[in-house]
Amino acid sequence: MKKQKDKLLFESILEQHKGILFKVARAYCADEEDRQDLIQEMMIQIWQSVHKYNDQYKISTWLYRISLNVAISFYRKNSARVRKYTGLNEQLTEMPIDDKSENERRLNLLEQFISELKEIDKALMILYLEDKSHAEIAEILGISVSNTGTKISRIKEQLKIRFSKLKS
Amino acid sequence: MNELELKKLWQATNDRMEERFVINKQNADDISRIKVYSMLGSMKPIKIVVLLLGILWVGIGGIALSSVYVNSFPEANKFFLFSASVQVGLTAIALFVYLYQLITIYQVDITEPIVRTQEKLASLKSSTLWVTRILFLQLPVWTTFWWNETMLTDWSILQWMITLFFTLSSAVIAVWLFVNIKYENRNKKWFQLIFNGNEWTPLMKSMELLEQVEEYKEPNAVS
Repeated sequence: MKKQKDKLLFESILEQHKGILFKVARAYCADEEDRQDLIQEMMIQIWQSVHKYNDQYKISTWLYRISLNVAISFYRKNSARVRKYTGLNEQLTEMPIDDKSENERRLNLLEQFISELKEIDKALMILYLEDKSHAEIAEILGISVSNTGTKISRIKEQLKIRFSKLKS
Repeated sequence: MNELELKKLWQATNDRMEERFVINKQNADDISRIKVYSMLGSMKPIKIVVLLLGILWVGIGGIALSSVYVNSFPEANKFFLFSASVQVGLTAIALFVYLYQLITIYQVDITEPIVRTQEKLASLKSSTLWVTRILFLQLPVWTTFWWNETMLTDWSILQWMITLFFTLSSAVIAVWLFVNIKYENRNKKWFQLIFNGNEWTPLMKSMELLEQVEEYKEPNAVS
């Protein structure tokens, strides 16, 4: 009975929040094959932890913790492989022609910026771009809200410098 | 470009790609049939082989040496016996530390906040340094295995000087490495030379990660 309940919860998490797994995997793995392995590992860890899920946390908070923890550990194990950066060009085909090149440039720059960040900064950046509140980011990372604010300000500053270089 | 536009651009791109991303139902079903995700199952085969060889070495060595101590100690070559005992003993300690580390890493709760979890994992992974330090301590006994009692009576001063030079040098190097192989020296050239190569990358990455964790624990640290 408990097993069946866990299975239903597992399936519903995957169905409703697959985007979290996808975004995190995409930020940490440029290589498509590695990304599939990482998503598989995230799914295994979610299944292994689903019985411990405590509804005092939002599902998304809980899921971000698992997927980011798995991604950072996975990255550590696999960073011996060649690190490469891939742009998003092929995914931008649905944009209007006029906006395409400008958006493409901006996205490439953003992606490159993210790929150069250290592992925990990368996690912070994803959560920031996903428009999470400082309180939720603090809960996911396990740091204070004020510390979260400080870290976000620093990353935003770095991002601003990067984009100002693009303009010039 | 302001941050709101940037967030919108990021989210729009991801949303579009997400729509095409499908979780393989069969795969999810297979995962939900896993009862226990065993530690051994998550380990690379080469690590299991090395671990088994280590256990075998310590087991067979331990039994053989115990038998010599119990049954034929007076006739045994004491140099060989003590050298082998130190070697097997240190390997056993290193194996124990490695196994303890593997089990503890396996038990870390992945649902805890990122900074805490990564600190635990990286600290444990960095404890691999202990295994290396212990194994380096074996260095001098590899130069004393072949010593025997005839050396005391038949050897010239030159022979003694050469032999003692190698043994003392390896002892000094072993102790120096034991004392100096530590997290604080990770940026030194000699350290990076020893831990150069793909097999050490996770260890070096763990140490880098510990630095990041320290930055996140210190709100005023410069990142």
